[in-house]
Amino acid sequence: MDNPYLPIKTEVLDVIEESPTIKTFRLKSETPLYFKAGQFVEMSIPGKGEAPFTPSSSPYEKDKLEITIMKAGRITGMIHDLKKGDIVGLRGPYGNEYPLSEYEGKEILLVGGGVGLAPLRALFLALVHDIEKYKSVLFCCGSRTPSDIIYKDSVLDKWQHLDKKRIKFRITVDRKDDAWKGNVGLVTTTLDKLDLNIKNSVSIVCGPPVMMKFSTFKLLEVGYKPEQIYLSMEKNMSCGIGKCGHCRLGNFYACKDGPVFRYDKISNIREIWD
Amino acid sequence: MDSYFINKPNLDRLVKSLLKTYKIFAPVKSDNNRFYKKIGEEGLGESIVGEIRPVEPVKSFYFPARTKIAEYFSEKDPDKKEKPVAIIGAKSCDLASFKVMDYVYGQAPFRDPSYIFKREDNLVISSDCTCYGETCFCVAVGIAPYPKEGFDINLSELDGGYVAEPGSPKGEKLIREYFKLFQPADPYIEKRDLNRKKLWEDLLEHVKKSKIPPKDSIQPAFKKKFDSDLWGEVSRTCVECGACNYVCPACHCFVLMDQKKEDGFERLRMWDSCLLLSFARVAGGANPRKLLAQRMRNRFDKKFNFFPDIIGRFGCTGCGRCIEACPGKIDIREVLSKLQTT
Repeated sequence: MDNPYLPIKTEVLDVIEESPTIKTFRLKSETPLYFKAGQFVEMSIPGKGEAPFTPSSSPYEKDKLEITIMKAGRITGMIHDLKKGDIVGLRGPYGNEYPLSEYEGKEILLVGGGVGLAPLRALFLALVHDIEKYKSVLFCCGSRTPSDIIYKDSVLDKWQHLDKKRIKFRITVDRKDDAWKGNVGLVTTTLDKLDLNIKNSVSIVCGPPVMMKFSTFKLLEVGYKPEQIYLSMEKNMSCGIGKCGHCRLGNFYACKDGPVFRYDKISNIREIWD
Repeated sequence: MDSYFINKPNLDRLVKSLLKTYKIFAPVKSDNNRFYKKIGEEGLGESIVGEIRPVEPVKSFYFPARTKIAEYFSEKDPDKKEKPVAIIGAKSCDLASFKVMDYVYGQAPFRDPSYIFKREDNLVISSDCTCYGETCFCVAVGIAPYPKEGFDINLSELDGGYVAEPGSPKGEKLIREYFKLFQPADPYIEKRDLNRKKLWEDLLEHVKKSKIPPKDSIQPAFKKKFDSDLWGEVSRTCVECGACNYVCPACHCFVLMDQKKEDGFERLRMWDSCLLLSFARVAGGANPRKLLAQRMRNRFDKKFNFFPDIIGRFGCTGCGRCIEACPGKIDIREVLSKLQTT
């Protein structure tokens, strides 16, 4: 029987500084982990502990993966000190993925805030891989300030030219600086005057709890039904395999029944936004 | 296979023979409590096969308080192969907890090897309760004070020996192997059934005092009380020590801890408590259960709402250990009664 608690030895290939508090780690594990967009992995600092993260790279890139991590606690602090060549542990992937087949033929709205852009980047790259299957993609990104925008080169430049007809962006910051020429306002403001057929649309939200809450409420307000909204509920997923009990969400465990949930399945559960 | 009768000297012989295959534990009594003690060449001695459950929950043998579950980066089996364990005198409330633990740890696709191997290798020789403790309330949550399933052999004490009922192929094999130690059980079955009926009735009478709602109305009553002040009230004397979780045979939550060892790293799995502030907290600081009242409610939610929905039974077996362990005198029976009355 395989030991599900055993991490796989993994090398840090590169560290990319995304913002003052966020870094992307490019990793290669001894045995490749094949994840689907939305699934998560447990990344460990040897001898110190581990934490759950959703890979942010394309699931089609088979032998390497990237994880984008905000410095927020004990483990993420140690992860931020990692350098090229360091060894970490990985196990997974765990949980369910974004149900791409349900998105086919639809106008897809991605709503991301801060480091919540990480899972959405994996999803976005998966969508782009088969873009002809989807009607359109509108990617709404919110960040606190211009310097907090992650994947800057992609978001502000490269991705903008991928397929101008099908793929559009709305980028906003909560507070601008002198150089910023774009939108200013919370990410929820990008959900006003949506130029898409909401009846044939699905929205996928990922970000800090408070952003998820208000984005979901805004989406409901502009006409999305709960069953058209997909959320990444990232709780304290410690074992990752539905045993340790930490990430329970009503009758679900975020680690095995999520982390991707359709909003109508969890809208009656208390404590989901905290 | 039928039941057989085994007298006390023969049970002792059987236990001594099992020593070559198993590490054997049976309860002994101290200060009116029972504790599992390792049995050596001297045999059962002062062991108490009947009476009520020991202080320690049976999960300790399958899901110990602290287990090394991985050494990395190595494929080596972290669980040193030790002799399997035979438990003598486990009670019905503890066997009922296997239903919860087997679900959690046996659930595919990620089965827990350390738990599964122990479940497969260990031997359970359970026994009927011959009395009840002040905190016992198994009958209120639908569990009899004598085992009906989940054992290899069950012993019902009477007339200087025990009716031995096989409950698994492993148990049947064992009886066949030591057949000379057994005799027909026919003369004893009626008396066993009478003993069981008597204890069941006495326990029902005892439990009546606690005014626990009828079994089938506990979950609906909990749902109605979700937003009530009850949880704040109940948690007033809680000191967040986690004792109720640790002694509970059905509490399965754990925390993973990593540490360095001489040549590499090891991962430990240790019992955790959902009453601790950090239980559901995430790195960014968000915590769905910041208030102790929320965490108290969560404990009852898991036992009396989540598990009934998921596996069709409570995550509480009525063993009453948490009542004895709580320094804040929080009594699960009282909380259940308040679901209906307040």
